[in-house]
Amino acid sequence: MNAIEVQEIYKAFGDVKAVQGVSFNVRQGEIFSLLGPNGAGKTTTISMLATLLRPDQGDAQVLGHSLRQDAMGVKSVLGVVPQEIALYEDLSARENLTFWGKMYGLRGAELKIRVDEVLELIGLTERAKGRVEKFSGGMKRRVNIGVALLHKPQVIYMDEPTVGIDPQSRRNILDSVITLKDQGMTVLYTTHYMEEAQEISDHIAIMDHGKLITQGTHAELVKIVGERDRLTLTINAESERVLDTWRAVDGVAQIISENGTLNILADDSNLVLPRLFDAAAVEDVRITSVEIQEPNLEAVFLHLTGRALRD
Amino acid sequence: MKAIDIALKDLTSSMRSKFALVFMFGVPLLVTGMFYFMFGNIASQGEFSLPQISVVIANLDEGGPKFQTNTRNIPGGAKADTMGELVVGILQSDDLAELLDARLVPDAAAAKAAVDSQQAQVAIIIPTDFSTQFADIDGTAAIEFYQDPTLTIGPGIVRSILTQFMDGMSGVKIAVNVALDEGGPANYALIGQVVQQYLDESLAQSDDPETALLEVRNPQTRAVDEEQESRNTLVGIVTPIMGGMMIFYAFFTGTGTAQSILKEEEDRTLPRLFTTPTPQSIILSGKFLAVFMTVLVQVVVLLVAARLIFGIQWGGLSSITLMAVGMVFVASSFGIFVNSFLKNTRQGGVVFGGVLTVTGMLGMIGIFAMNSPTAQRLANSVSLLVPQGWAVRGLLQSVNGQPVADVLFSMLVMLAWSAVFFTIGIWRFNRRYA
Repeated sequence: MNAIEVQEIYKAFGDVKAVQGVSFNVRQGEIFSLLGPNGAGKTTTISMLATLLRPDQGDAQVLGHSLRQDAMGVKSVLGVVPQEIALYEDLSARENLTFWGKMYGLRGAELKIRVDEVLELIGLTERAKGRVEKFSGGMKRRVNIGVALLHKPQVIYMDEPTVGIDPQSRRNILDSVITLKDQGMTVLYTTHYMEEAQEISDHIAIMDHGKLITQGTHAELVKIVGERDRLTLTINAESERVLDTWRAVDGVAQIISENGTLNILADDSNLVLPRLFDAAAVEDVRITSVEIQEPNLEAVFLHLTGRALRD
Repeated sequence: MKAIDIALKDLTSSMRSKFALVFMFGVPLLVTGMFYFMFGNIASQGEFSLPQISVVIANLDEGGPKFQTNTRNIPGGAKADTMGELVVGILQSDDLAELLDARLVPDAAAAKAAVDSQQAQVAIIIPTDFSTQFADIDGTAAIEFYQDPTLTIGPGIVRSILTQFMDGMSGVKIAVNVALDEGGPANYALIGQVVQQYLDESLAQSDDPETALLEVRNPQTRAVDEEQESRNTLVGIVTPIMGGMMIFYAFFTGTGTAQSILKEEEDRTLPRLFTTPTPQSIILSGKFLAVFMTVLVQVVVLLVAARLIFGIQWGGLSSITLMAVGMVFVASSFGIFVNSFLKNTRQGGVVFGGVLTVTGMLGMIGIFAMNSPTAQRLANSVSLLVPQGWAVRGLLQSVNGQPVADVLFSMLVMLAWSAVFFTIGIWRFNRRYA
C-alpha cells in the first residue's frame, strides 16, 4: 500500500520551472530518497507535499488525504524536518518541543510524556533546559528532527537533514532515520549525498533540473549503467589532448571532461586502465591521479545526465 | 488555545531579550528620571536661583534742605541725611543682600569703568543736586542708570527697584505741590507733615507683598507645605514627559514585536508552523495577540513604576484604564500595520528610525509647546493627525482630571485608528501568506 502518491506535479516561479511533471509512489513503512544536486527541485517538491507550496498542476495523496482537497488532513499525519534549523533559539530544548507539541495538538500529560520520550530519543535529556542558541549544530539538528516526531506521525519528510554537520551527528541522524523506519514510519528523504541515499533507502528517485529522471531500488538503478566501473582521472595537460584518443580505447563506454577531471565509464577497469596509460604515453601526457569506483549512483547520474552528481 | 500558546511563546521571547527590556522599560524610565533630577533642584527651591547682581553706586549727592524720614521704614534701618544716602541705603539693605551686591565708588567715571570692564552689571550715578532738585518744587531729580548692554535680567531687576523708589518720590513731590497750593506758604508745618507721611508710605510699600515689584522671601520662614508644593511642581513637570516616553516607546514595542512575524519568516519557523495542523488564521491571530499582550505588559508596568518611582498621579482609575486600553490597541495595531508593508526585517531599521520617530515626535509636539499657549494650540491640532497625538491627548485628559466622557472620546478615536490599522495589516499579511 502506498503512503504517498504523487501525480504529475508542476511548480514554476516566474520563468523558472522548478518542478516539471514529477510522479512517484512511496510505500508505507519504507525510506524513499529524492537524490539530486542542489537546484534539482527536491525542496520544492517536498514543500508542495508538505502543503507549504501549492502545485501549479497535479496533486498528491498522503495516506489518502489530497493536497488540494484536504491540506489540513495531510498536515495532521505529517512530520516535517525542514532543511534549515527551524527552532526558537531563545527557548530551551524542552520549551521548543513543548511549544511545537501544542501546535500538533498535544496537551497535558500526553504532551509531557511525548516531550520526555523525544528528548530521550534525540539524546538531549540532560540538556533539556539548555537554550537552543547555546547548542552545537548537530544538537540543533537533533532537536529539529525531534520536533517532527512529537505527534508520532505516520509519514515524515526530511529535507537534507545532514547538511553542514559533523560526521558523528550525521551518523546519529542516519541511524535515527533507520530506527524510524523500523518503528513503521514512512520516510521521504531528500539528499544530494549519494552515499546516504545508497545506505538508508529502499527506493531512490533521481532528480535533475526539476524532472525525475529515474527511480527504483539501488540495485535497479545501478543496473542502468550495467557492470561498468567509474574511473576518475586527472592528467598533467589539457584534457582535450587525450579525449579523442581515450574515446577510441577498447572498453571505454563513456568519457566526460569536467573541470580538469576526466570521468570514464569502463566495462572492466583492470583491462582498460593499462590501455589508457599507454594511450596517454603516446600523447606525451602523464596521468597524475586515478580513482576507481564500483558501479554506484554517482555513475548512474553521470550516465543519465552527463554530469557529476556533486556539482 | 493555540493562538494563546503562540502569544505566550512570543511574550516569553520578548521578556528574555535584554534589548527589548531596555527599550520597553529602561529607556522611558531613565529619560524621565533624567528630567526628574534635572528639574529637581529648581522645583525644590520653588524658583530659579539667580546669581547676585553686581551694582556700583557713585553717590555724588551733596545734600539739600534738612528732611527727616522714619528710619524704621528704610529697608535695613539705615540713617539717611540725603536723598542719595536713602537710595544707597535701600540698595545695600539686608533684605536685598542676597539679590544685590551694591558697593560705593568715588565718582561717575569709576562707576562706568566698572561696568565697561564687566566688574559690575549696573552703575548708578546719583548727581550732586539730587537732594536739591528733590526739594525744589519745580526741580527734576534724576538718577543716571548705566548698564552692560549685553545683560537683561540683572539690570532689569535693579531698574525695577529704582523705578519703584522714584515713583514714590514723585508722589511725594506731587503731594507737596498740592499742600502748597491749598495751604499757602504760611502752613509749613502742614506741608512737613504731608511730606513726612507720604515719604513714609512710599518707603513702606516695598514691604507690602501685594504691591511689591520684587518679593524677597526669607527661606527660614518657609513651611513644610512649600516642600510639598515644590514636589508637586516637579511631578507636574515630569508627568507629561513620562507619559510621552511611555507612548513613544509603546509604539516602538508594538512595531518591534509585530516584526517577529517577519523574523519568524526569515528564521523558517513560520513556514514550519504552517506545516502543523494549525490554521493560518490561528497562527496569525496568535502573532497579533502577542503584540497586544507585550504592549499591555509594558504600559501597565510603566504606569505602576512611574507612580511608585516619581509619584505621578495618572488620574482616576476609569480614566487611565480607558486611556491605557486605547493606547495598547492603537500602538499594537500600528505595529502590525507598519510591518505588513515591510519585505524583511532589514527594512525595519528605516521604519523604526523614520516612521516611528516622525509620527512619535508629531504626536508629542504639544508636550514640548506647553509654555506657549498659542504654539500649544497649534501643536495640539497638528498632533491629532497621528495616533500618538490621540494617546497623548487621552493621557493628559486623564492626568488633568477631565471628565471620563472626554477620555472615552479619545479612546474611541484610538480604537477607530486601531480598526483601520488592524484591518489593513491583517489583509496584507493574509495575502502575503496565502
